Amino acid sequence: MPFAALARLLQRVRVMSATMVLKGTYKGVLKISLLLVATYLVAHALASFLPAADYRALPFLGNRVAVWIVAELHLMFAAFVLGVPIFAFITEIVGVATKERRYDELAREFTKLLAMAYTLTAVLGCTLLVLLLVLYPKFTAYLEKLFKPTWILYVTLVFGEVIVAYLYWFTWDALQGARKKWHLALGFLVNLFGTALLFIADIWVTFMMSPAGIDEAGNLVSLWKAISNFTWMPINVHRLLANVAFGGAIVAAYAAVRFLNAATEVEKARFDWMGYVGSFITIAAFIPLPFAGYWLGREIYQFSEQMGVSMMGGSFAWLWILQAMLIGSLFFAANFYLWLGMGRIPGAERYVKFQVPMMLVLALGFVVWATPRSIIATGPEMSAMGGSHHPFLGLFGVMAAKNTAVNLMILTTFISFMLYRRGNRVPAVPWARAGKIAQAAAVALAAAIVLGYGVYSYYVPSNVRIGFSVYQVLAVLGAMAVFTAIDIPMLKGARQIGAIQWGMIPARAQYALFFLAITFTWLMGLMGYIRSGIRQYWHVYGRVADESAHAYTMTHGHATLIVSAIVVIFFLMVALVFAMAARYERGRVPEAA
Amino acid sequence: MSGTFLRAFAFMLAVVAVYAYVGQLLPQFEEHPPVKKTITAETPNAELAQIGEELLRGKGGCLVCHKVTEAGNVRGPDLRKAVSVAASRKPGVSAEAYLLESLVDPEAYLVSGFPKMMPSALKPPVNLSLAEAKAIVAYLQSLGGAEVTVKVQAADIAAAKPAGAQHRGKTLAAQYGCLACHKVEGEGGAIGPDITKVAATREPAELLRKIVEPSAWTTPGFQAGVMPADLGRAIPEGERHEIVAWLATLAGKSYSATGAASPWSHEGVRLGLVIFLFNAVMLLALAIAGRGGRAP
Repeated sequence: MPFAALARLLQRVRVMSATMVLKGTYKGVLKISLLLVATYLVAHALASFLPAADYRALPFLGNRVAVWIVAELHLMFAAFVLGVPIFAFITEIVGVATKERRYDELAREFTKLLAMAYTLTAVLGCTLLVLLLVLYPKFTAYLEKLFKPTWILYVTLVFGEVIVAYLYWFTWDALQGARKKWHLALGFLVNLFGTALLFIADIWVTFMMSPAGIDEAGNLVSLWKAISNFTWMPINVHRLLANVAFGGAIVAAYAAVRFLNAATEVEKARFDWMGYVGSFITIAAFIPLPFAGYWLGREIYQFSEQMGVSMMGGSFAWLWILQAMLIGSLFFAANFYLWLGMGRIPGAERYVKFQVPMMLVLALGFVVWATPRSIIATGPEMSAMGGSHHPFLGLFGVMAAKNTAVNLMILTTFISFMLYRRGNRVPAVPWARAGKIAQAAAVALAAAIVLGYGVYSYYVPSNVRIGFSVYQVLAVLGAMAVFTAIDIPMLKGARQIGAIQWGMIPARAQYALFFLAITFTWLMGLMGYIRSGIRQYWHVYGRVADESAHAYTMTHGHATLIVSAIVVIFFLMVALVFAMAARYERGRVPEAA
Repeated sequence: MSGTFLRAFAFMLAVVAVYAYVGQLLPQFEEHPPVKKTITAETPNAELAQIGEELLRGKGGCLVCHKVTEAGNVRGPDLRKAVSVAASRKPGVSAEAYLLESLVDPEAYLVSGFPKMMPSALKPPVNLSLAEAKAIVAYLQSLGGAEVTVKVQAADIAAAKPAGAQHRGKTLAAQYGCLACHKVEGEGGAIGPDITKVAATREPAELLRKIVEPSAWTTPGFQAGVMPADLGRAIPEGERHEIVAWLATLAGKSYSATGAASPWSHEGVRLGLVIFLFNAVMLLALAIAGRGGRAP
């Protein structure tokens, strides 16, 4: 009886009212129970009522677009409800470690957004399930049978997640002080359940991309092999990092709205700081994301050279140019926000001189990264260029140049952040000069390695070249690790030039935070399309063909319009979550008073 | 608040509109699944080569690595020269046999300077039939200016690879003992009637009823009551549909293994149990907490 034990525990630690906490939690359980029952009944009724078919057609939107929109919205909300608890948990730990109350309040503020977001995630997930069962009955039944044990585990974990998440929220005030460790334990459990849920959902998605563990007729041979397919772990890691970055970006956007609407200087200072923490976590999780992406790409090539080439050099090649534009924009926005933020840090004017060179590196990196390789040229164009690629610009369209560019952009953003961090501090340790020289040397060495391998890449075959990206990544990560390892002890006991003037940041910095959130969301939508689209006319790549009328790859223009529509709908729903959170806050005022 | 919200919303729309617009500037094309072509033993050589070219460009995915024009990919050998060098690749192996082997078993002979990376054309994800592989050989012969000598045999024209749930029907019928009494395509027992073509005269709903209710009807010439009354009920509902879908395929009909009834009724029961369990435990915890609260 784990819950009865929990009730007794809550009584023992004299929580203000165990009954109230359990009542609140039970509301969440009841909500999920009713949703699941309704989903089952609706799907069952529709499947019984409609004539048997392998595919059924949805009027107006069509099957694929309807499933696409609902699945992507579900995924975005799922990313939010998995990312925010990680964010809150880290912030809460920082609060305990630094004994600063504001971190605890910040974590609480984030967690407040979760209840409504959970409901929307569940509603979207249930809608998706109904759509799949009704519109793609044969294929859904196939997947359902293949992964039968995982469905029940998934539902069980959903209940587990809901229970601990509600307990985490409702016990916030009661489990303070000496009882804080119990609250942290709950926070850890929320994230454990959330990560397990993500990993299970990824099984189904990655199996469709890189099937394993089935025979040629599609029958299950090994469940574990089907689970641990080529792309499962890379996508788990990629999504986990992206969820944290995404959760941070949305929270930063929330803080930006509240900042712009703040009535007092105190409120402005509070939401400015919240926006900073949100953007910091976004950037911190965003920096290793391209590396996780490389790993995923490599596994896709390992699984199927054909799929890899379709993705990078075939039908989807042009979308990577769009992706480069989006990620380049994210780097610009993140640096822009940091540079504007330096305006409220006394002493940070010492580092303004670095902004122009850093801007140049970012701009050049952006241009190189967004240079297309395979442009479909006309005959006269080809004869003018002397071949299918431009004699000079063609050099920048290849991965050798692009990997170099993105690694330098990551390194630049990291330096930008480290300068921001030491804006108002002057190291007091006697070895400060040597430390700074060592830091500069680490960065210079990493940049030289990245550039060196970038140039050398042009002189070796592609199968050798692809291995160089690992050395470039390791050089950048190594420099970041060395820089941070020196920075932490160097700034210990540092002299402060002045306190950060929270709230004294221009409004356009808040728009940079909006921009980060919007661009990140659009990027998620685009990458989701590429990941799913590279299966082309297969439900399960190479095994179960998509024989529906929608088994074609649509034009890039059409796809980007759908991604845009999804992003707009998502932000309207997020606005609803924010409004509900604000309403809840207003409702709490008399109680607090 | 509404002013801030409207400004933020307008900003979001502007950013999204820019990205959507850039999407419209990219080259626009649709890619459709390869059209299924029928190859028979009588398909003329010229048509076979034509089908081969379409397979090479589409379903076969050959141009991902090879090239047939000057501007193609060079991950694999240039296919324009394939025929001219094929005869001399392996002593004693004809050009036609070598080309076919390089499709069916690409690692049997690796051209110097190229890595091991090509999957067999007969296996996933390419999944060609042997006839389709021969059509590609026909195209390669015509591409190299040689005479098309490859011949498609009736045995090469295998049915499309099985895909999806309904193809488990045969395995399930054997697993649940149906074939112990019934003959299907010449295999099985003779206690019950041959059911190879039973779906030609019976509707899927009738067959489903017969499985769970053997007394529903009896084929003339066979004794009633022999089929165990509880046998069919032991077969999960979804799997009964799969057996019927397989029988329908044998009779040249199509029947979706899902649809009329939910295939996940057993899952439904399990789902209900999980929901019940969590609700019951939570209610119990509430009751215990409430009782504790009343204690002095």
